[in-house]
Amino acid sequence: MNREWSWKKANIMAGLWCLAVGLAMMALWLAKPAELAAGHPAVFGMKFNAALAFSVMGVALLLAAREFHRLPALMLALVFLYGAAALSQHLFGIDTGIDTALNVPFVDIGTSVPGRIAPNTALCFMLTSLALGLRALQRRNGLVPVGLGFATFVIAAVALLGYVIALDFAHDWIRFTRMSLQSASCFFILAIAIIFSGKEPAGYHRAVLAGALGALSYLLLLAMTYFELARYESSFGITFSSGGTNARSTLSSLVLISAALYGGLMVHLYLSSRRSRAMAADLAAHRIRLAAIIANAVDGIITIDGRGIVLSVNPATERIFGYGAQEMIGRNVKMLMPEPYRGEHDHYIANYQRTGEAKVIGIGREVEGRRKDGTTFPLDLAVAKLELGDTVLYSGTVRDISERKASEKALLDANAELEEFAYRTSHDLRSPIASSLGLLGISRDMLEEGDLPALGQTLQRMEGNFRRLDHLIQNIITITRNRLMEEDTQPIDLRALVAESIDALSHLDEFKRIRIENHVPAELTIESKPSKFQVIVGNMLSNAVKYHDPKEAEPAIDVRAVRHAGRVRLSVEDNGLGVPPASRHLLFKMFKRLHPNRSFGSGLGLYILRKSAESLGGTALYEAKDKGSRFIIELPDGDHNENPLDPGRR
Amino acid sequence: MKIHSILVVDDDENDQFICEYTIRKFDPSIRVIKAFDGTEALDVLRRETPDAIILDINMPVMNGFEFLDRYAEEFEVHAPVVAMLTSSHLGKDRERAMQYAFVKSYFEKPLQADHLRVMAELLEG
Repeated sequence: MNREWSWKKANIMAGLWCLAVGLAMMALWLAKPAELAAGHPAVFGMKFNAALAFSVMGVALLLAAREFHRLPALMLALVFLYGAAALSQHLFGIDTGIDTALNVPFVDIGTSVPGRIAPNTALCFMLTSLALGLRALQRRNGLVPVGLGFATFVIAAVALLGYVIALDFAHDWIRFTRMSLQSASCFFILAIAIIFSGKEPAGYHRAVLAGALGALSYLLLLAMTYFELARYESSFGITFSSGGTNARSTLSSLVLISAALYGGLMVHLYLSSRRSRAMAADLAAHRIRLAAIIANAVDGIITIDGRGIVLSVNPATERIFGYGAQEMIGRNVKMLMPEPYRGEHDHYIANYQRTGEAKVIGIGREVEGRRKDGTTFPLDLAVAKLELGDTVLYSGTVRDISERKASEKALLDANAELEEFAYRTSHDLRSPIASSLGLLGISRDMLEEGDLPALGQTLQRMEGNFRRLDHLIQNIITITRNRLMEEDTQPIDLRALVAESIDALSHLDEFKRIRIENHVPAELTIESKPSKFQVIVGNMLSNAVKYHDPKEAEPAIDVRAVRHAGRVRLSVEDNGLGVPPASRHLLFKMFKRLHPNRSFGSGLGLYILRKSAESLGGTALYEAKDKGSRFIIELPDGDHNENPLDPGRR
Repeated sequence: MKIHSILVVDDDENDQFICEYTIRKFDPSIRVIKAFDGTEALDVLRRETPDAIILDINMPVMNGFEFLDRYAEEFEVHAPVVAMLTSSHLGKDRERAMQYAFVKSYFEKPLQADHLRVMAELLEG
């Protein structure tokens, strides 16, 4: 891209040079400074017409650079016609009168006819105007303009070099009619602009072309020198020789050796140019592939410099942190870290640079990231040090591991729960059996002794044990079913469900003593899963009944429900025993019985309550009262707010 | 030395019944003191030090281990024989219990005359 731009500049410079030289020469011809002409006749080697033609070409080139096409082509066509007319005057020996049509020269230098331009100059006008005209129309550099430019270059270069080494034949194709130095310079620059500017046409190597141009000009010059020498020899009848060797044969050998050398160099140039081009293409393909890999990586890839300034980020980084790339680049990478990393990061870098002791670099570790919205999340960070010459960069790969951490935690929790479950069931299942075995032994004693009333009591104790065992097993079944059961949500009439649950408790001994009131509004419904919901309500109510205070004169239970902010809050309130403050942290845990001397519970009731509420996306809460307890569940209305931490469990 | 008094710490009424019956059968002269959880047991122990304690592990309010911690911390004089009596024989629990110097034995429920014999021997030994 940069190269295209600079070649465009070459075009403009060529145009400006032609315009400047043309205008300056026209001004001189009009000013007619006799002294200058006497002192420096070579200045007037460029004719007025040629100066005008160069001015026109210069303007045409500048216009073409500004994306004009037809106008410059028209101007260049005029120049072409002029060149053709001038050349035909030399070829056919005619006089069209154009030489003095615009300006009658006050001096006559370097020409056969006053005001007439040299044939090589005329030819070059034709070549360059045709090349530039074609390019302006085609809007690209085809092979034809390049070939024309090539020819112009050789003619102009030979003429220029002829001036340098004082070889007249190089610019005087017809005696006394020479291409002026100014013209040669203009053509030279124009030819370079024609050949090298614009987009590269298929398959030509600039370096090879430049080499070819140099070689050809050199060989042509050498050949001209040879002919010049031959001409001198024939016209003056002398032979240049030194030490018996013919100078002409020396020169011809020189031409051949040079040609061979140049040929070899050209081949080398071509091969190396082709190789470097292939390498460049390879490199570009490589870079594109690498960029694609980084851009499509699932992990965020961030590069920072030695001060922690972000140099680049890939799209995954934007996704992970919520910042756009431009919000991160140029800022300190600390912005992606929460405290304490944020405050310590400069210190980390300085420490590493001083001691070389790596904490993250080359190792990788779990750290915390901070998103644009301020939330923090666990991430895996691996940092690599990149030493590029004098500068040191660090490239960090980040992976959001929130999900992995959450599932890890869920797994650990589930595992711990399972372990606790196994431990407690092994105890709680065996406990009534061990007790019954003891009672069985005692019963046998009593039977032998014939103490039947005592035996009856002991049997009653055994029955109690088995009831307890049965209750525990029922609870375990409830938990298992709760976990495994697939159930659809449907509208539940809350008031009816509570009434039903109250009825279901009527078999309990204490039931008749307790006043239970259902305050749930008749119109309140909730979208939820009926079986689980029933487990929850039944559990709350039976707890309230079981743990009523026997000493309370008027034991009471009140059930209330309200809808608030898309959630339904159901509370069961009693004036019973309450939960001792010291034991409250054990509420809702597995196998925790909180009441002394009241060991009829399985220790699973509140655990089941919490698990059921959580599986419906809600929570279970306890609020202490002056006397008694208030158990509350808050559930989302409908399926949409399922517990995000535990989505699989329904 | 003969066992004169035993403190039974167990929240289960049936287990208390079995312990009492078995102890009476073993030696009717032994006085049985009942406590239904750790706190009650500590209350009893503040008043007197029995010859032996039979201690359950799983109890509400204050379980067996919590009781042992408090008993070790708050008391200088301990009952000569403290025996754990539990319904499951878990190695982990047993190890933990036996770390206390005053815990001498570890039995599985239900309590039997043999267990009391072992305790009597420990008291004599």
